[in-house]
Amino acid sequence: MRYYFGAEARLRRHVEDTAMSVFDGWSYEEITTPSVDYYDLFEFGMGHREAARAFRFTDTDGRMLALRPDVTSSVARAAATLLAGRARPLRLCYTGQVFRQQSPSHAQWRRESEQLGCEQIGSGQGAADIEMLTIAAEVLKRLKLHNRISITLNDVGIFNGVAGRLALDPVARDRMRHLIDIRDMEDLRRFLASYAQEEEAGAFARLVERPGKAEALAEARRLIKNTRSTEALARLERLWSVIEALGLTDQFEIDLGDLSGLDYYTGLTFKVYIEGIGTRAGSGGRYDHLTANFGRPEPAIGFVLDLDAITDALSRSSVFPPAQEPERAAERPSGDDLSALFVQALEQRAKGVRVRLDAKGAE
Amino acid sequence: MSELTIAVAKGRLQAATLERLGRVGIHADEESLASRRLWAGDREGRYRFIFVKPVDVPVYVEHGIADCGVVGRDVLLESEADLLQPLDLQLGRCRVVLASHKPELLSNGFGMLRVATKYPRITAQYFGARGIPVEIIELAGSVELAPVLGLSDCIVDLVETGRTLDENGLRVIEVILESTARLVVNRASFQLKAERVSQLIKALGESAKEES
Repeated sequence: MRYYFGAEARLRRHVEDTAMSVFDGWSYEEITTPSVDYYDLFEFGMGHREAARAFRFTDTDGRMLALRPDVTSSVARAAATLLAGRARPLRLCYTGQVFRQQSPSHAQWRRESEQLGCEQIGSGQGAADIEMLTIAAEVLKRLKLHNRISITLNDVGIFNGVAGRLALDPVARDRMRHLIDIRDMEDLRRFLASYAQEEEAGAFARLVERPGKAEALAEARRLIKNTRSTEALARLERLWSVIEALGLTDQFEIDLGDLSGLDYYTGLTFKVYIEGIGTRAGSGGRYDHLTANFGRPEPAIGFVLDLDAITDALSRSSVFPPAQEPERAAERPSGDDLSALFVQALEQRAKGVRVRLDAKGAE
Repeated sequence: MSELTIAVAKGRLQAATLERLGRVGIHADEESLASRRLWAGDREGRYRFIFVKPVDVPVYVEHGIADCGVVGRDVLLESEADLLQPLDLQLGRCRVVLASHKPELLSNGFGMLRVATKYPRITAQYFGARGIPVEIIELAGSVELAPVLGLSDCIVDLVETGRTLDENGLRVIEVILESTARLVVNRASFQLKAERVSQLIKALGESAKEES
């Protein structure tokens, strides 16, 4: 529960406006979605485990409602229903609060946080993936954060391919994923030891130890041979070569061990980190199966930036000086004749000038 | 380049942690160590150490105030913090055990067991998984006293040598988990200071291997 006021509130608005204008610059249309909706929607959209974090309550007829724990679910439903007749790809963007009861990260836990998001629905991998990354990078660049960020890239297909070869039951698969996610290399090696015949999995354990750049992809290419993973690697390689061509390699990392987050991702995933903020400042990825839950299967990709985290990063930096800025300029019409005072004020306002009334003696 | 901040658990693990860091060439400034100051630099100005209570190590690291930390697995499991845990340092080996002065504790059907502990989450999980209903009494220290004075039927506590248990007439009924010190890393630092963090992991990893 947090208030923003004065310079901080203006900074927060500036971040929001910057993001929305970049989204608009890439032809994303704004959509607003209901903040209260049926709980089922989010269970369809996010899966049970994530949706369970929503604040729930009942409608007068006993049906379960929730404060939205994410916006993507609603956007996906809109795409499959309201906007079903529109030409593809659909480019949609939004700014909106989401509400969650508890987060896996205590540091990140706020009951309410505001997401700046972008979704592209109806276009397969390739250009759309790069478009998302470019947009995220442009927002951060316009906020002068580009020297202080790392956007990590992964493709869930790589893990899925390796885990698929081990034929794990769901519990064991979750365990392997968790060990990789927290980079517990020893326990991971111990876990994989029972699959000693699987050389590839052992090699995979080495790949997830640390993030890297082109060389990380090259090493993965050398060590990983199964079809599903290799296809995913090829997608990442294509992406990386464009990032190289755009001169953006400083801002991006390949991190094959980044497996946390929603289960619904089907291809590229990425996370945004900013210096000075111990938690993630954004995340996104491809979720090609989600809209099928609403009756219209089509490929989709999206991301969100965390408005509060970005505001914090900026207000702690020297780029945007914090609270003690000088009082902003304003015309100061004054006097004790109320009519004259407001005639004066309206004239200034008509010219677009900022006014600050001084109605001394006129009360 | 900014320094890497390492949160060190005060107490049981502190000396061993600093000794291990020293072995890979990271030396805390001795003057600061000798003083009562709660932080210290290293000789080259590449690292900063902060000394905090073990339970606070995950807090500092999760919030990114410290990039890395060294803390026992027991504390980590109890905190449920969202951290990277790349390395077992093989330091400060100890066990979290269920102990009581009533050896027939679990077989006798005591009704609702009362358990005194500093580890309410680990305790709840342990008994929960066995379907044994318990009342957990959370204490901050001297847990061994609780069954002796009748505050509880048993305890879940950390044991290094077992002497304190012995001297208070308590027996280990079951070992719940083995704990050694872990290197933990903040998620953002792992990405933003990737080079330096992985150097640290590598160096400490090699020294841990020599140890085991």
